[in-house]
Amino acid sequence: MTPQTLLIPILLPAGLAVVFFLIPSRVKLVREVLAVLGASALLYLGFVFFSVRNLSWKTPWLGRGIDFDLRLYHFSAFILLGLTGFLFLITLYSTVKMRNTPRLREYYGYVFLTAAMANGAVLSNNFVPLIFFWGGGLLTLYGLITIGGQTSHRTAVKSLMLGGFCDFSMILGIGILWAKTGTLTLSEISVKPEGVLAAAFILMMIGAIGKAGAMPFHTWIPDAAVDAPVSVMAFIPAALEKLLGIYLLARIALDFFHLEKNGAMAITLMIIGAATIVLAVFMALIQKDFKRLLSYHAVSQVGYMILGIGTAIPIGIAGGIFHMINHAMYKSGLFLSAGSVEHRTGTTDLRKLGGLSREMPLTAFGFAVCALAISGVWPLNGFVSKEMVFHGALETGYIIFAIAAWAGAVLTFASFLKAGHSVFLGPRSQDVPRVKESQGPVVLPILILAALCILFGVYNKLPLQTFITPILDGHAAPGEHLDFTSHALSVFNPVALISIGCLILALLLHIYGWRRGGKKAHLASEPVHTFPGLKQIYDLAEARIFDIYEQGIRFLRSLSLVLFKGIDRPIDAVYDKGVTAVGRAFTRLFQSAHNGHYANYLAWCLGGLLVLVGVIGWFVGF
Amino acid sequence: MIFLFIALPLVVAGILPLIGKISPRLLPDILANAVFAALLAIALFAGPSLIGQGAGLQPFMFLGEPLGIHLALDGFSLFMLAAISLVGLCIGLFSVDYMEHYGHKAAYYALLLIMFAGMNGLVLVTDFFQIYLFLEVAAIASYALVAYGLGHEELEASFKYLMLSAVSSAFIVISVTLLFGLTGSLDFGAVSQALRGLNQPLASGVCAALFIMGFGLKAALIPFHAWLPDAHPSAPAPISAALSGLLIKVSGIYALTRIFLKVFGLTPALSNILMILGAVSMVVAAFLALGQKDIKRMLAYSSISQVGYIVLGIGLGTPLGILGGLFHLLNHALAKSLLFLNSGSIQMAAGTRNLEEMNGLSKKMPVTAATTLVGSLSIAGVPPLNGFWSKLIIVVALVQAKRFGFALAAILASVLTLWYYLIIQRRAFFNKPDEKWRDVREAPFLMTTATVVLALLCIVIGIFFTATISTWIEPARDALAGGLQVIQSSIGIQ
Repeated sequence: MTPQTLLIPILLPAGLAVVFFLIPSRVKLVREVLAVLGASALLYLGFVFFSVRNLSWKTPWLGRGIDFDLRLYHFSAFILLGLTGFLFLITLYSTVKMRNTPRLREYYGYVFLTAAMANGAVLSNNFVPLIFFWGGGLLTLYGLITIGGQTSHRTAVKSLMLGGFCDFSMILGIGILWAKTGTLTLSEISVKPEGVLAAAFILMMIGAIGKAGAMPFHTWIPDAAVDAPVSVMAFIPAALEKLLGIYLLARIALDFFHLEKNGAMAITLMIIGAATIVLAVFMALIQKDFKRLLSYHAVSQVGYMILGIGTAIPIGIAGGIFHMINHAMYKSGLFLSAGSVEHRTGTTDLRKLGGLSREMPLTAFGFAVCALAISGVWPLNGFVSKEMVFHGALETGYIIFAIAAWAGAVLTFASFLKAGHSVFLGPRSQDVPRVKESQGPVVLPILILAALCILFGVYNKLPLQTFITPILDGHAAPGEHLDFTSHALSVFNPVALISIGCLILALLLHIYGWRRGGKKAHLASEPVHTFPGLKQIYDLAEARIFDIYEQGIRFLRSLSLVLFKGIDRPIDAVYDKGVTAVGRAFTRLFQSAHNGHYANYLAWCLGGLLVLVGVIGWFVGF
Repeated sequence: MIFLFIALPLVVAGILPLIGKISPRLLPDILANAVFAALLAIALFAGPSLIGQGAGLQPFMFLGEPLGIHLALDGFSLFMLAAISLVGLCIGLFSVDYMEHYGHKAAYYALLLIMFAGMNGLVLVTDFFQIYLFLEVAAIASYALVAYGLGHEELEASFKYLMLSAVSSAFIVISVTLLFGLTGSLDFGAVSQALRGLNQPLASGVCAALFIMGFGLKAALIPFHAWLPDAHPSAPAPISAALSGLLIKVSGIYALTRIFLKVFGLTPALSNILMILGAVSMVVAAFLALGQKDIKRMLAYSSISQVGYIVLGIGLGTPLGILGGLFHLLNHALAKSLLFLNSGSIQMAAGTRNLEEMNGLSKKMPVTAATTLVGSLSIAGVPPLNGFWSKLIIVVALVQAKRFGFALAAILASVLTLWYYLIIQRRAFFNKPDEKWRDVREAPFLMTTATVVLALLCIVIGIFFTATISTWIEPARDALAGGLQVIQSSIGIQ
């Protein structure tokens, strides 16, 4: 295989994007066929690349060590396969769901451009092209969110600002790393995070976890869940950004910096992870909107991945990465099933929905599998990866992190019981008319993802041995045992028993809340919501007090007001009163000399001549 | 080939009145514009090779006897010829519709072509007498053109222009005579050689003073400027554009530059005098422009101010300064012609030149408004338009030469320039359209074509300013600087 083929995953979707921008928006069928074919070709290429695994291509670009350097190896091939797979499913789904979007040209164009950027970012083996593709994805995301409608503009700006901040941090970190190591090639960097390099680690980590959507850089996701098209949510925050962010985080933690178990950096990561799990899941629990609820889980689950990688123990890291791909599958599936419900009923408000399982059985089934997977129910994939993270967290000796993760598990299951119960079970709601199951292209991606969730759980040997374990090759201590499959599904060990206990606790919590709420499922979270102390915090959170973006904007607004009143206006007054008056005075003075008399003007000319002669005469010494 | 630049317009001017008897409109329009187009094509495509061949001197042969008229084409002349033909073509296009209601188009084009023949001649000749000759050819045609409308105001302005201009011509003749007496020659090269061996500093100094006054008046440097704010606004708009865009530069700045850089040599004293004249013009005229209510008067004062920039740059005498001055000459020729043409469009459409009566014309005349904006911003020196780069080069040259006071004055004047151009924009174009402009229409196609071409040139030159400088301005600068180094330290006033 020639190395130039590495350009195809970047150039093919980019070229298709240009085509999609050019085709007139009336032409729908050709566009959809082309999109599905292109995505299938890319998926096929993903499989081919995964079988090849070792390929690199490099060409000088900007000089000074900035080369256009692409490298395919096990990890990037795995992520690439994931990216192309999700692109295929989303494209298939969009052919029906997005059909009547007014800005169809832009939608497909941006989706494929996003894919090109993501593929480029994963394949880059030099930081500068990496940043280029990384930032490019930010712009296409902006475009995609604005497709959502009138109010989405604000959210799009928010995502751009937050993403821009994280990218900026990452660029700073890369700059420090470059200055210290003298190279920009990813595969050549390997340092310890000490001194100034610790700062580089933190900055780059902010870039990575910001992309993945961890707290506190997550606040655009719940807003986008309401504003942006649901397929965009399923594609980008649910799948693609998790793959990219966690890919980079794993590279940072494994390759560029040697993360030591229980070192300061590792603890930092674990704290961020645990905080993200717990805080986001608390927010998820009380949501009244299906998509918004899912979006908070998209944040919360990142915490497990970060926690897993932060343990710096093989089983934890493997669990974190495994959780990444699992999460991408079931969260994408959940968003798609929410989209399917929205497609037929026109709403995702939990209070209006109910009892849809008879009319939409396939969607309900897909949702159920994915929801159970995300909650970590035996024997689905979420159970396996979460167990690995729990084990890793316990092995570090800091039990608090494991407890946080378990607390997250309780509330996750509780909130999905509430969501599933509200939408698909219970009495048939009167607010929505009778509906049919969604069309094939909508249901198929959901079922494929659900099937993969089952497969990766029951037959966890397949993903763990083909995808995950080889990533850790060369990183684990010699002789350390890297087989995570032996007890993956075993139930009779303390960790698994506690996890299952958590699930039972969640079920009890749900039933209690459901009864308290007068057997209305969407009120099942009210006992937590109105719990003394928690309620006040919730109120503050709902008022966006904890949203760093909103607070930052508020701060900048007041700062600019102060600058305007305190500095700008006084200067303006000087200009207004002073400069203008002086200018007018000069103008009047000169104007009064121009009285229109010929003799006057002639006198100036002759006077000028005399002065000239005088000056020149003086110069020559007469 | 070089000969064509003078002969072609003169011959066509000669036959135009006859043609006017047959076809009062169409043929004169076509013929005059064809002349401009042909000259532009020659200047752009054949011009560079004419320099390259080294065929500098081209004596006239008449009945086998060489006549004493020598034409020479160097980089500087070619640059001026190109600028003259380019602006000339735009003016010609604009005149087709604009001059319709003045009548006697054939006579108008004849006068216009005579003026251009005079300007072309002026930049090609190689001795002092011919400079005077072509100066008068261009000037006399321009007196007639300023008075072309035959109203009271036009005649008064033309008379004032004629009287002051005659004074300057007289001083130039006196100076030429003095110089002939001193050196026994009129040819630039010979005079330059003779001055080098001559120890008559006061006499040559008086010559220099007379030249500065005479050509300074043509260039409208303050305090010799008083004719311009009357003459330029009174003329029909295309003539205003030709006068402000070209004539003051050719008969004033070109002659000054040619004489002081190639013949006398730019001594520090002369350099200082020119720079002071330039700086005073630049600042004082900017203040004066600020107080105007008539759009064309404001533009006329602006011309004085911008000529100040050019003289300041060239007077500085460093290669970069000359480069900036020449570049600004080109940019100002384009932008100021554009603005005068637009003022004509406005006058034709709305019937007024008073800024306070105009209001919100941009809705009714979008092309005119847009091109005026481009021209204004270009002259005010807003990036990335061409005027920004030439002003920047001049300021950088001043700073490099450690003339910080002049640099500050240049920046101050550019702020003032922006100020009064914003006044034009605000009063004439912005705001809500006035009720009385209900029937106002955009100018006809050819008029807008001319202005759009000029506006596009302002933008394109601004974006590709390095290419423009290296193909047109640098050869011109080198033609001047080559002589400069030889002469600078040797002759004339110390």
